[in-house]
Amino acid sequence: MEAVMLVEQVGALGHPVLRQRFTGAGTECRVGQDIDCDVVVDDEHVAPQHALLTLLEDGRVRVQDLGTRNGTRVAGKRVTPEGAIIEQGEIIVGHTRLYVRTRHVPPGQERVYRREFVRTHRTWLTVAGVAACIAYAGFRQWLNAPSSLPRSVTTAALVTLGVLALWTGLWALMSKLNRGRWEVRVHLAIASIGVAVCVWGSWVGGLVAYAAQWSVLAKVGVGVIGAITLVALYLHLREATRYDRRIALAIAGAATILISAVAWVIAIGVDDNDVNRVDLGPDVRLGAERIVPNRDIAEYLAEVDRLKRAAGRERQMSLLNSPLADAGD
Amino acid sequence: MKLVGLFIAAVWLCAAAPSAVAQTVGAADQAERKQPPPETPVVPPAAEEPQQPPGEETVNEAAIEAEIAAQELSGEAQTRLDAARDSVVQIQGFFEGSESSAFHGSGFAVDDGRRIVTNYHVVAQAVLYPQQYRLKYLASDGREGPLHVLAIDVRNDLAIVAADDLELPPLKLRPDIPAQGERAWSIGFPLNLGLTITEGVANGLVENRIGQRIHYTGAINGGMSGGPALDRRGRVYGVNVSVVTNRQLVGFVVPAQHIPALLARAKEPLEKQYSALQLRQHVTSQVLAYEADVLEAQPDAVSTQTVRGFVLPTQISPYVECSTFDERGPHVRTRVEVISCRIPSQLSVQSGLPVAGLSIQHRIVRSIGLHPLQFERQVNRVAADTPRLGLPTHVAPFACHDGLVSLDGFDARISTCVRQYRLFPDLYDFNVTVVSLDDESQALVSRLTLQGVAFDSGERLLKRYLGALQWKP
Repeated sequence: MEAVMLVEQVGALGHPVLRQRFTGAGTECRVGQDIDCDVVVDDEHVAPQHALLTLLEDGRVRVQDLGTRNGTRVAGKRVTPEGAIIEQGEIIVGHTRLYVRTRHVPPGQERVYRREFVRTHRTWLTVAGVAACIAYAGFRQWLNAPSSLPRSVTTAALVTLGVLALWTGLWALMSKLNRGRWEVRVHLAIASIGVAVCVWGSWVGGLVAYAAQWSVLAKVGVGVIGAITLVALYLHLREATRYDRRIALAIAGAATILISAVAWVIAIGVDDNDVNRVDLGPDVRLGAERIVPNRDIAEYLAEVDRLKRAAGRERQMSLLNSPLADAGD
Repeated sequence: MKLVGLFIAAVWLCAAAPSAVAQTVGAADQAERKQPPPETPVVPPAAEEPQQPPGEETVNEAAIEAEIAAQELSGEAQTRLDAARDSVVQIQGFFEGSESSAFHGSGFAVDDGRRIVTNYHVVAQAVLYPQQYRLKYLASDGREGPLHVLAIDVRNDLAIVAADDLELPPLKLRPDIPAQGERAWSIGFPLNLGLTITEGVANGLVENRIGQRIHYTGAINGGMSGGPALDRRGRVYGVNVSVVTNRQLVGFVVPAQHIPALLARAKEPLEKQYSALQLRQHVTSQVLAYEADVLEAQPDAVSTQTVRGFVLPTQISPYVECSTFDERGPHVRTRVEVISCRIPSQLSVQSGLPVAGLSIQHRIVRSIGLHPLQFERQVNRVAADTPRLGLPTHVAPFACHDGLVSLDGFDARISTCVRQYRLFPDLYDFNVTVVSLDDESQALVSRLTLQGVAFDSGERLLKRYLGALQWKP
């Protein structure tokens, strides 16, 4: 089969701006600023005659630098005078990126095109998500029983819309730059649904925590919010960039871990050293159903008895963290 | 004489480093600050004032002038001061190698003149942190030298100290309490201004107070702690101990009758008798003995007060004093009635570390047309407003346990938090919050706060408190 190489010049945003096909063993492709080159590059850091690509008998490509001062890089490494032999990969001359492909690397299988759920239902999801966010903002205001309910609800709704708009706007801009489309509804749907699930979930979670007297639910809730953040960031990245699944997941995961770490450090700074912090348990919900039976006083006092050891442990930790000024013994 | 809430503001007179003073003041119960100003004790006319015969209306100005001159008040003060000058020393505490004093108070020689009486709180830092603080005396003739502590009485806030080579003319003790209205003088070193005498009136023993204190109406200031309080004959009837801040001339004096028992124990320096750990245990045991007397006196008699169907324990110890008032609710559409009870006096094992304290605050929160969801939010807010009494240097963080408990007639969420003292492992703070459930227009938020109690005694008080809570519609 005849040897073939495709040489692509990659634009600033990562898209190919030029693609040329060379066939036949021994075919050469010169790269440089010179008008006689096969691939002419408008880059002041590139020599008139900069690099030479030669298609070999076996279908691979030899890359040679033509004695330039800036050199030529293949897979990040500077090409030696003997040249490098590649099957495919990125070649950098000056500030310009080229991409070379040969028959040695077959294309991937055809992937069945699936319209994603978010994209398909973006309008309805956006309406539902934004409505749920604004409803929660209004509900919180109503819970506080403010003196002027319409004013508080309007303010809260506007603030919510403003935050959502800012967040969506940033992601939409990334989409436009990377993929050429704004995708406002998709990003707004992801953001608003994520926020709505977190805020309403935590309210319902509080109700469940009280009904079941399950204090652990607060910690579970933090985990769930972390997971929702991860999913939302992943979906945003997939929509706004050309990263593949693994890279998008890695970036979203790293961002989630970073956000959690910052939140954790702040929480520790505020809470853990506070000797006056009392944990009263799940908030009281007057009139709400409870699914756990009540204890009697004796039972409760027996449980309080165990606090002596717990308090002792807290003291040991406290002494380890900051020893007494004058231990004396 | 009703002095509810007055003693909370009473601070020690030992002039300490500014931070320590702030701690003492900062330790005042937040909830108590919301109480209306306490009644100012009524000072009866001094006995020395000329008594006008009834019915005689004429004012003879010359006669009054003569009377005033005859009293020679300032002259008498001078005599008192001159007589006592050589017996009084300033006691200074120094932090490690520092040359400037960390705190200072006063003291005076008694008995054979080799032993000096002062307040426990003047020397507390040196007793509890013997490797960090050292004590020094400064006599009126300019002599100075190291002091060591021989005996302490935490309950009466007294201490006996001595220096190896110091012998001063002793002051005589008066074993009885001066009559109300007797003229009296207090001597000390206020604010490091040098030896000072103030003149006032002794107003007898303070009622309702567990540790005996004589109410002295006269100026007492920081640094006069441990100084002698003298009567007309120059005898020591007590030891200056504390003052009510932001009030006029309300001071307290420990009666001298507690000194002889302490002197009998003051044989050799404490650090020779006890290790640092044992010293803290020694202090703790005095606190616990006080607690047994005060907190657990008459364990079966709990008086209660009924408010809007709730039967609320008020005096779970006979020394508890209560007041009832309306509080500004967290929201305009709520009403909060408060029954606030506390033991008015507290021991302090060191500056800013009060112990053996008990306070109960019942808050009945009522909704004025709020939706149940809105009301429960306000109730949770009231419940979460916990007093912030602890300092990280003194206490470890709380360990908490909560649960829904069936009490007598109603269900409640009870959250009990306990923390241990860092320096005194036998002492604990309790913070118990009870919130009634199920009623959507009225809720009880009740809080029991115990400061510096033994764990067992805290548990017993908690049991007594929970057992007395009741709902009787």
